[in-house]
Amino acid sequence: MTRRFAIFLFFSACSGWTFADDALPKAETILDRFIEVTGGRAAYEKRKSEVMTGHVEMTAQNVKGTLTRYSAPPDKSYTVMELDGVGKIEEGAAGGVAWENNPMTGPRVKSGEEKTQSLREATFNGPLNWQKMYVKAETTGVETIDGEECYKVVLTPAEGKPETTYYQKKSGLVVRTTTVASSPMGEFPVEQDVSDYKNFDGVLLPTKMIQKVAGQEIVFTIDSVKVNEEIAADRFNPPAEIKALMEKK
Amino acid sequence: MRTFAGLLLAAAAAYAQLTAEQKQLNIQSFEKVWTIIRDKHWEKNPGGLDWQAIHAEYRPKIERAASTEQARQVMRDMLARLHETHFAIFPGNVYEDVGETVMGGGSPGFDTRVLDGQVVVTSIDPGSSAERSGVHTGWIVTRAGDKELARLIQKLKSVPELHELTLERAIEAALSGPEGGDLEITFLDGANQTRTLNLRLGPPRGAPSRFGNLPVEYVWFESRKIGNIGYVRFNMFLDLARVMGEFGKAVTDCKGCDGFIIDLRGNPGGIGGMAMGMAGFLVDKPDEKLGTMYMRDNSLKFVINPRAGAFGGPVAVLVDGCSASTSEIFAGGLQDLARARIFGTKTAAAALPSVIEKLPNGDGFQYAIASYISEGGKALEGNGVRPDETVELTRAALLQGRDPVIDAAVEWIRKQRTPK
Repeated sequence: MTRRFAIFLFFSACSGWTFADDALPKAETILDRFIEVTGGRAAYEKRKSEVMTGHVEMTAQNVKGTLTRYSAPPDKSYTVMELDGVGKIEEGAAGGVAWENNPMTGPRVKSGEEKTQSLREATFNGPLNWQKMYVKAETTGVETIDGEECYKVVLTPAEGKPETTYYQKKSGLVVRTTTVASSPMGEFPVEQDVSDYKNFDGVLLPTKMIQKVAGQEIVFTIDSVKVNEEIAADRFNPPAEIKALMEKK
Repeated sequence: MRTFAGLLLAAAAAYAQLTAEQKQLNIQSFEKVWTIIRDKHWEKNPGGLDWQAIHAEYRPKIERAASTEQARQVMRDMLARLHETHFAIFPGNVYEDVGETVMGGGSPGFDTRVLDGQVVVTSIDPGSSAERSGVHTGWIVTRAGDKELARLIQKLKSVPELHELTLERAIEAALSGPEGGDLEITFLDGANQTRTLNLRLGPPRGAPSRFGNLPVEYVWFESRKIGNIGYVRFNMFLDLARVMGEFGKAVTDCKGCDGFIIDLRGNPGGIGGMAMGMAGFLVDKPDEKLGTMYMRDNSLKFVINPRAGAFGGPVAVLVDGCSASTSEIFAGGLQDLARARIFGTKTAAAALPSVIEKLPNGDGFQYAIASYISEGGKALEGNGVRPDETVELTRAALLQGRDPVIDAAVEWIRKQRTPK
């Protein structure tokens, strides 16, 4: 779940550009516009770290909890969720290693498509770095979401499933992402609707994400984002259980 | 002549014409059953059938049904076309005992199983009213309050589709009541003498645990050594952080043990993912899985993430007819991977929670919403896990304070370490 959470945050941000209705703009143009409407390149470049806090709810199951996500350049990420009745779920990516420590299923080091997906999503200031993350970006059409026309942009990574992002024509903001999440448990289509953009130190970020995966709906709500706050050097180190697995390999 | 007339009257009463309202309720029940299968069965074409054609075939039959029993049979015939277990229609009076089983908050402090058609005490909770009153394992419970348990068993066993777990839960409900209240319970003791005790209903054993919308459940975990063999037992796969933590500690503290016993008897399951996490303490090979759950739109592999320092010795898992859901996923998967030997009796065959709904005509409808195939290719739903060594509890052994299932597991583990 944090994966989608992560993927989407990466796309947060735009202004009042318009395009001719009869021609699809190039994906690059749409992605650049997204950077502009969410604060502009300079605002992104000022960001050297991010600590995001919020809460999460699995609505049908009535399972609630909190989440905190730490991010730093170039691709460091650590997310911790505390869910009622489950406990602490940790996920991290840094230095080419991606892992998860889940009290339910146990600690594991990710591999294959799941690993590359996690590492991609950990890319700091993702909107500025999309060309490093994807080998192809293509505008494939226009679809209406909640009464608003959106450009449909398909981003294809070097390894893994394509990700489709819907940018609202009017605002330039991302309103939906869809992809297929890979994990050892299987491949699951994921749809995530994002909304309630707010300005955090010059960059607009969505503060509400509703994720639908495997018949479940998970709502993420961001309460605060602290930018350029000092993060302890060892914050991105894997926990002992993960280190033990890495040594075993 | 009089007798003949009487028979005719009896027959007429048995097949009395349904009122228009009753007939309509039967038709509504049929429609509900058919629609649920259409919308919730894990296959888009349930059982490989043209489900719309099934409707066309059976709808006229339900309209012609002259009694509720006939209507029930029409629905049963339709469900039989699926060739799957866990799809059942049972009469309203049975539904009242199983469909909305209400557990009182208080417990007299003992567990039971139906052995040879009798409710037998199988364990006593430490510190409970039952323990203080001298209740002993092996005693037979004949009555709880105003309920004759033999009659309850007879009624529930009249529906073969109802599995053992449902029966045991109905008995558990009969033996519960408001916490702090008293329940008069009649036993047959070891000498088959009747004893009636007024037992105070205390809080259930364990600590209260809440997970999402599930009601509060009391979860307990026990861990001990039998010689140099580790033994754990817990009543549910819930209270995740505590139970996983205690399970992990029990396994890692037992690194030098001759073997490890996991007692899942009476464990109805809980959070499915915990089966994967627990298996990771026992399986060292990567890329193994317990099985796969198939739902309407996707499938979920129950993968095992081996822990650093997983236990490598012999593992025995104990099960019975009340081991269900996550217990079956865990036991069946480890059995298929040849990582554990299974002792006890066949499990509940309810790897997935089957749902029981009340139909408009008052009957109950039980159905499963997914299929689970364990790693060896067996469908656990409706089939259950068959032990490698079938060992039954007996009243005689319980009266002697023995547990033949544990004894068999211990003997097997000891043989694994005995030089041949």
